[in-house]
Amino acid sequence: MITTVLYSIVVGLIIISLIAIARAYGGPSVLDRIVAMNVITTNVVMIILIFAYIDRSFYYIDVAFVFVLGTFIGTLCIIKLLREGHII
Amino acid sequence: MFVGVVGLLRLPDVYTRMHAMGKCDTLGAGMILIALMLLIADITNITKLVLIGIMIATINPIITHLIAKTAYNRGTPMAEGSFLINDYVAAQRRRRRSTLETGKTKKGDQGSS
Repeated sequence: MITTVLYSIVVGLIIISLIAIARAYGGPSVLDRIVAMNVITTNVVMIILIFAYIDRSFYYIDVAFVFVLGTFIGTLCIIKLLREGHII
Repeated sequence: MFVGVVGLLRLPDVYTRMHAMGKCDTLGAGMILIALMLLIADITNITKLVLIGIMIATINPIITHLIAKTAYNRGTPMAEGSFLINDYVAAQRRRRRSTLETGKTKKGDQGSS
């Protein structure tokens, strides 16, 4: 029962990510694509956590944590490149 | 989260898209995290989930703020019919231009006299 609900939530998150990919494909500027990428990464983290509960393998929670940190550093680097023209 | 993505698809501007996504995404992620905390009845994993929730709730507004500031500094065009109430950068430019003009007139007066 609860597994069916969780699978339906995963399907909904995948549909949301596809809509965000459509915005990232046809976005007029770079910043729209950054916003859409932020949404997609948050959805991916949520999908990893839900599958960690479904499979009862809780080591994936650490994987999700590292994914959040890496996404933050990546988006920060892209924004710094846009603002100043160089990263380092 | 679905309402936020519909706003991402439909709204006409960078700023309004950020306004749609910066709140709905954080709230939806927090709701899913609370549901998983109720499902997983283990104290170590609940602690890790709380840590992930704190990280998302701090990182997402920071990223949204930086994107908004970058868009404002790059001069991204807004939607038709929108306006700024307190335009800080434009007021600063206007003040600098007025001080330059007064300095030029003073120098001109000194040169002529």
